[in-house]
Amino acid sequence: MALEAPTIETTTLISREQVAPGFWFLRLRGREIARRTRSAQYVAIDVPGTAVARLPLGVWTAHGDEFSLLFREWGERTRKLAGLAEGTELSCVGPLGNTFGTPGRGASALIVAGGIGIVPFWLLARELRQAKVRVSAAFGARTKAMLVGAEQLRREVDDLRLCTDDATEGERATVLDLVRAASKPDVLYGCGPAGMLRALSEHAVRTGTACEISMEETFGCSMGTCWGCVVPVRRGAPQGTGYPASPRDSRNYDFARVCVDGTVFSARDVLWLEKPA
Amino acid sequence: MSPARDGAGTKPDLSVDIGRFTLATPLIAASGCYNRGAEFARIVDVGAYGAITLKSITRDPRLGNAMPRIALTPSGMLNAIGLQGPGIEYFIEHEAPKFADAPTKIIGSVAGFTIGEFVEVAARMDGLPGLVAIELDVSCPNVDSEGECFAVDPRATDAVVAAVRRRVRLPIIAKLTPNVTDIRPIARAAEEAGADAISLINTLRGMAIDIEHARSALANGTGGLSGPAIRPVAVYQVWEAAQTVKIPIIGMGGVESGSDAIEMMMAGASAVGIGTANFRDPLIAARANEALAAETTRRRFASVRALTGLANPGFAAARWPADRRPSHVSSTR
Repeated sequence: MALEAPTIETTTLISREQVAPGFWFLRLRGREIARRTRSAQYVAIDVPGTAVARLPLGVWTAHGDEFSLLFREWGERTRKLAGLAEGTELSCVGPLGNTFGTPGRGASALIVAGGIGIVPFWLLARELRQAKVRVSAAFGARTKAMLVGAEQLRREVDDLRLCTDDATEGERATVLDLVRAASKPDVLYGCGPAGMLRALSEHAVRTGTACEISMEETFGCSMGTCWGCVVPVRRGAPQGTGYPASPRDSRNYDFARVCVDGTVFSARDVLWLEKPA
Repeated sequence: MSPARDGAGTKPDLSVDIGRFTLATPLIAASGCYNRGAEFARIVDVGAYGAITLKSITRDPRLGNAMPRIALTPSGMLNAIGLQGPGIEYFIEHEAPKFADAPTKIIGSVAGFTIGEFVEVAARMDGLPGLVAIELDVSCPNVDSEGECFAVDPRATDAVVAAVRRRVRLPIIAKLTPNVTDIRPIARAAEEAGADAISLINTLRGMAIDIEHARSALANGTGGLSGPAIRPVAVYQVWEAAQTVKIPIIGMGGVESGSDAIEMMMAGASAVGIGTANFRDPLIAARANEALAAETTRRRFASVRALTGLANPGFAAARWPADRRPSHVSSTR
């Protein structure tokens, strides 16, 4: 889908609600961003009282002249954002990043969300239904309270299965268990912790299933200029730099920027390098 | 009093001369923060900058450092990107052709690990359409000198700038590191070796620890600190350098508002680089231009150039005998 260019918009915080301990749902008025945003895209917010870098947050819902954010408190900027008074004006740059692809009419899709990784999927579910794709979703979290957004997503999909690590909701299972138990879809969509995305990608490659994952990294510029948020991708991947290989460097892969080349990548392009724990 | 002098009803002249080239405004997008200019051009008019300095180009393609490459710190940002880039060959073939149509002037930037690499890359950049100058990132580690950075040593600075000078016609800007005991001999070495201008400061070496995992927050270990945290260091080093050399200084380091740009000019900078601040405020150049124009008008100057060195008596002393100083600096304390 052709994406619209990002813009700088002064948005207004309409409401804020703590939907679970440490999880926040914010509604913002911002007509241009609401109109332009597609699934997996994000906004970069200049959070008052913080320095240097904007806070990138995925857009949860968008309709009319409003969009919403669903996020977990994680560091100073998210804490300050969660504490703002209603009516506060917020400078947002967005929508940023790419979006999920949509399969043909009549295809089947399985959304796989881990924890706050549910964020890109409300918009995706809408896009898929509009494209006449059958949409199932598997959503897992540590415990029932952390299954934030489940009820809103349920209204947008044909089938939603839940799981938790402690069996407080749905099965005691991981989303990967649900994926393996489900019939093979035409396409898998994933967002969640790195370990989950890696397992999902490996499952997709093993079973020959198309799979797109939305990834997360610490961003500096959120614009693609600083090269601070790269992910290793196979050489020749469409979102890689296309630069020639580096002589005297044994690393036979490329780096893509998560902020503008992603956040969505094909599972077969991303390389999962061993990282120190 | 002439209209231009009292500023009433006229727009002050924001153009500045950096040695052999002129910029429409003193503001320059700093290297490494604006890539090739195309990204920010999607959301703002990058023509608000007098020039964009490109992310540094090396001779060979470079994959750069492992992740994490960025760590946020109080009022600053640490980065260790590792010069990820295409190498000069790919740059000339695929990227440089676009600069002829750029909405502002382009300053090339060269990084190297040996003098030979600097000379080779700068010589190949020389004369590319759209480029008005070449900045040498002499803050790189010098492989010929056991990894010590060129710009911590006056002799190494002299050697690399002089070697490039012999092969390059475009104006040369030497970008200096603040990680030195005394910036003055380094600035002097760059000037004597034939640099048309110097730019300072590069990032300050720094480090942050990820205490949860008990390791450096950056895969590279150390990184370069940018952002408002380093601005007082930058202002001081610009002040020192401005008393030492006669060539123009491009002052940078933590500038994130119009008043910060004014401060940098008053310390002795002829132009002002803005880097990290673009991330938070993509419109910063437009805002800072307005602030520079307002300050120029408020002081009844015809040109923004009059702000340069205004707070630095040593700046004037280094350039003009007391009886031949421009009127606006003659009464400076």
